Amino acid sequence: MKAEFINPFVTAGIKVLESVINARPESGQLAVRSAAFTTQQASIVIGVTGAVEGQAIYGMSLVTATKIAAAMSSMPAMTFDEMASSAIAELGNMISGHATTLLSEAGYECQITPPTLVRGTEVEIATSTPALVIPLYTDFGKMEINVALMETGEKTATAPAGGTEEQEASDA
Amino acid sequence: MPKILVVDDAMFMRAMLKKLLTEAGFDIAGEAENGRVAVDLYQELKPDLVMMDITMPEMDGLTALKEIVKLDPAAKVVMCTALGQERSVMEAMNAGAKDYILKPFNAEKVVEVLKNASG
Repeated sequence: MKAEFINPFVTAGIKVLESVINARPESGQLAVRSAAFTTQQASIVIGVTGAVEGQAIYGMSLVTATKIAAAMSSMPAMTFDEMASSAIAELGNMISGHATTLLSEAGYECQITPPTLVRGTEVEIATSTPALVIPLYTDFGKMEINVALMETGEKTATAPAGGTEEQEASDA
Repeated sequence: MPKILVVDDAMFMRAMLKKLLTEAGFDIAGEAENGRVAVDLYQELKPDLVMMDITMPEMDGLTALKEIVKLDPAAKVVMCTALGQERSVMEAMNAGAKDYILKPFNAEKVVEVLKNASG
């Protein structure tokens, strides 16, 4: 997987989180994760198809997910109920939508699936390719962005994929 | 005030939009969680406006937009989506969408766009 594919998701993650929780998160160190890994307490899984294919997975603790959902809902506090689950799933949708827009601008036209929320720390997710992982540190805790994408050979342009102000990772 | 059909697969987003639009003085005609339900409800409720997400199960918002415009060429549909690809925007506008709002959105902007679209 090309390291450039995770940059749009980091850029989008920072932009969307900053918009919905009114605080700019900081990105952490890039890491590589094997093709199968155990989820965090709350993980949003979104499929990507088109010029790149695979998954984007956003993982966080239930405490962080609940706090982010409350901020998105403009509520002081909430439980991680159906509405909070929907808010977090929509967060993943918004980040992925923006990220795939950046990928499209770089010539990788792609689409996203509706989000799926996975709960439970013993759930193993198998991807077709190793994932690149970057944590985003927010005031409410850490959110991990896991991106496992493979190029399918449908690229239409050669502009660099987005993420100019965020961490630019060298090829893993 | 104009009656709006709110279409989004996320319960959270439908709740946020209904609150925002109600506070802005719009009437909520109904809500749909996917494009197929949206097309059925459009025929049943005949709303003045539709606020349509794109990425949804069963039937996506672009397909639903085309179905609704086929049923009612005067339909006023505003897309509200996280997808900002030029291709998606062009496809929606060419299919008859009145406007295109990107998520996360600014509440004032949403109200302004909908008031313009309903005019």
